[in-house]
Amino acid sequence: MPVEKSEQNPLAVEHLEQAPSEKTHLDSNELILNMGPQHPSTHGVLRVILKLDGEKVLGTECVIGYLHRGVEKIAEHRTYAMFNPYVDRMDYVAAVSNGLGYCEAVEKLMNVQAPPRANYIRVILTELNRMASHMLWLGTHALDIGAITPLFYTFRDREEILKIFEKYCGARLTTHAFRIGGCLYETYDGFEDDVTKFCNFVEPKLGEYETLLTTNRIWLERTKGVGYLSAEDCKALGVTGPVLRASGVKWDLRKAQPYAAYKDFEFDIPTGQNGDTYDRYLVRIAEMHQSLRIILQAVKAIPEGPIMAKIPKVLKPPVGEIYHSIEAPKGELGYFIVSDGSTQPYRVRVRPPSFVNLQALDKMVRGQLVADVVAVIGTIDIVLGEVDR
Amino acid sequence: MGVNRFLRKIFLVDLLQGLALTFRYQDPREIYTEQYPLQRPQVAERYRGAPRLNVNAETNETLCIACDLCALACPERLIIVSSERNEKTRRKELTNFTYDLSRCMFCGLCEDACPTDALELTQDFELANYTREGAIWDRQTLEQGPQPTVYKR
Amino acid sequence: MRDYVLGYLDSTVTPGEAGNVLWALIYIVLIFTGVSIAVMSMNWLERKILAHMQVRLGPMRVGPHGLLQPIADAIKLLIKEDIMPAEADKALFWMAPVVIVITSFAVYTVIPFGPAHAVTDMNIGLLFMLGVSSLSVLGIIMAGWASNSHYPLMGALRSSAQMVSYEVAMGMAVVSAVLMTSMNAAGTGTLSMIGIVQAQEQQQIWFIFKFFPLGLLAFFIFAVAMVAETNRAPFDLPEAESELVAGFHTEYSGFRWSLFFLAEYAAMIAVSSIAVTLWLGGWMRPFAHLLNGRTWELTFSAVPALTFFVLAALAARATIRFPKHPLMRIQRIGLAGFGAVLGGIGLVLLVPPVRDRVQDISWFTFKVAVFMYMYIWYRGTFPRYRFDQLMQLGWKFMIPTGIAVLIGTALVGVLWG
Repeated sequence: MPVEKSEQNPLAVEHLEQAPSEKTHLDSNELILNMGPQHPSTHGVLRVILKLDGEKVLGTECVIGYLHRGVEKIAEHRTYAMFNPYVDRMDYVAAVSNGLGYCEAVEKLMNVQAPPRANYIRVILTELNRMASHMLWLGTHALDIGAITPLFYTFRDREEILKIFEKYCGARLTTHAFRIGGCLYETYDGFEDDVTKFCNFVEPKLGEYETLLTTNRIWLERTKGVGYLSAEDCKALGVTGPVLRASGVKWDLRKAQPYAAYKDFEFDIPTGQNGDTYDRYLVRIAEMHQSLRIILQAVKAIPEGPIMAKIPKVLKPPVGEIYHSIEAPKGELGYFIVSDGSTQPYRVRVRPPSFVNLQALDKMVRGQLVADVVAVIGTIDIVLGEVDR
Repeated sequence: MGVNRFLRKIFLVDLLQGLALTFRYQDPREIYTEQYPLQRPQVAERYRGAPRLNVNAETNETLCIACDLCALACPERLIIVSSERNEKTRRKELTNFTYDLSRCMFCGLCEDACPTDALELTQDFELANYTREGAIWDRQTLEQGPQPTVYKR
Repeated sequence: MRDYVLGYLDSTVTPGEAGNVLWALIYIVLIFTGVSIAVMSMNWLERKILAHMQVRLGPMRVGPHGLLQPIADAIKLLIKEDIMPAEADKALFWMAPVVIVITSFAVYTVIPFGPAHAVTDMNIGLLFMLGVSSLSVLGIIMAGWASNSHYPLMGALRSSAQMVSYEVAMGMAVVSAVLMTSMNAAGTGTLSMIGIVQAQEQQQIWFIFKFFPLGLLAFFIFAVAMVAETNRAPFDLPEAESELVAGFHTEYSGFRWSLFFLAEYAAMIAVSSIAVTLWLGGWMRPFAHLLNGRTWELTFSAVPALTFFVLAALAARATIRFPKHPLMRIQRIGLAGFGAVLGGIGLVLLVPPVRDRVQDISWFTFKVAVFMYMYIWYRGTFPRYRFDQLMQLGWKFMIPTGIAVLIGTALVGVLWG
């Protein structure tokens, strides 16, 4: 459907009236290129149809749904506690955040508060999880741009985080770490030591990643000025997370709408000035440093007490609906839960950050070269499990 | 400052720093690979691996009281607990316990739900089978527990 | 018979100049074998060194420490199905790898491994090398066109554009080096490869240090241009896996692909040999004139044997630390045997007649090996340049700098020659 060009509509497209896949007739020097679902750099099964003029990209269309598993439908047939493990599988790279969002949403619906000790444990694990997600992002993004070694360094350091997760809850990736009402697992002996040791271990490693990339002239040429997204476009498209912060908007849900125990900690929100790929890279590296700061503060001050609130064995939240969102590593992860008073939710709608951020791909990549498409997909940091659910 | 940046640029300082880093990492002590299967990974105590039905060490009786809570807790409904009522003691006794490993997501809800220490997720992660039926474990396999594979070839 | 052989081994001219067809053929066979062995060891070395830079191990299972991996790869490539796209141009499809291999190997006729150790010594040897290696661009375009699919075609066009642009920069750097050969009393320069090394011997300086920093700059331009010429990181966009276009050899499988691979590594060794000959003194040992005298000669002449002893010691150490699993026994014995063979070669290299004859070729090989290591090192460290940035670098930076170096060398030579 052609979109009318107007001053009020910030999404009006100048060059493309029809989506590339609907176009029936091409101009002579235009080419439709399919970056198929099986591709080494589309982080998962994502199909991007590009309309090219030689090397320049005129328009894109993303085809998603190759990883759709019907998670929201599954939720309607499981009890609230049973749905918890499914939630990890959406953003499988950063599973702890998903669990946190869901548990907090249900707790808000039921009007229970997790005890402070549980909140501190949640914060520590979520920040470790943020670091793991950003490390994986860094490795794969560098790999797409051609630097093949940072991948191995970041994965090696991510292993240490996964070891901590394994010792805490028994699984590395799909952690199922939290329960509705608090945490099930008590911290194991040596948890604080492990976490502190990890923080001291990883700080010089972050410096190493920066040595390899931040000042490297080839990296600068590949990422500066590529994939520009203005702050107005971000707000119009609903883009959140590091992409929004790199465009200059200082919006972080951990400070704007604090949840868990974030009120007790001191940390900064890194922002960028130009909204290009290089700034997103700098913002995520700075976020990793800030996460280290939060973890070190939290680990010294875990309060004593119970880790689980008093909730009934059979969860029957009152009739109503709630939307609760947290700052996942990729953006604002939101859960909209509608309860009809029974043990199974009536509707669970997940607002995945990658799905909303992916809309910005078209705007970021217009007028850039084909080689930049790969860099831009990497810099939005998408996980197809989240996009498709 | 301008001169410094100019000099760094023409003497390729940034590229040389990157080269120095990768050169340093060639030290064999930095190698992070574990050569499986010669070196098995050490998994944590709380690791959620293969399930096992525990038995009482002295009497060799099963600890399971056939309460069916694990089957009710499982999101995938893959546990089937069959029991019969013992007329003498008026309690339920376990006859058969079926666990479908092919659909299990190792979430641990069954382990959390079990009131006795009967159902436990062990540290065994080598669960490959040659047939689909081999992934459906009955009571005997579950009580046997993890069988660590010894590689002869 | 013995006299004939010894008579040849002591000759001071190359077989091409002496008109000795038999020895020329023997040289050709030796070079071909040597380059093939070098390519196979580059395969192993690249995987191992890259892996170690990435904190992992690389191939370990195929032979002890993966030493038999190149052989396994070669066998796999040979027995693979030979697929030809249905719409492909059959004659061109067949001919493209052949053209590339022939042009990559033809340059080895003039590479000087010693003062009399080349197949022939043309007096335009350098021009011949540059010209013939430029012909490989033709093979690439043939490969891209014959595949009849637009990804390989785009990749081939990009590849060829890249190679052609960087050849200009290479040419500038090469001409500066040739200019330096004429800085002798007679004022005669030479394009002959052996002549260039002999000019460095006469002027008692490696050209990389001559007219500092001009020689260094020329060498640097050549070093960057040669990496771009051979389509290696950081200039490997045309054959990168994570880009849309997979490169001109997408449609080639099995043996045909292995020919491209062979040609790429042979071209790498060839351009490295040019760099070594032009700037690093070819077969000259380090400090040939600074540290002269019988004792220094003896010390430096023990280096080839020493390297083999070091390698044998590393193999012995690896054998001792080998995992003691019964199934790994054969590998352990194999590794011990390999170490023993290396030690044996080292001992043979200590025998004076062999030691004296092997000096030129071993110093040349060491220097080329350093360049190969640099290739692998760059691949492990740097991200890739985007194609337009690559072309910009070539035309807007390399060529002006090359021209400046050329003019600078000429000026310095005239004023201070």
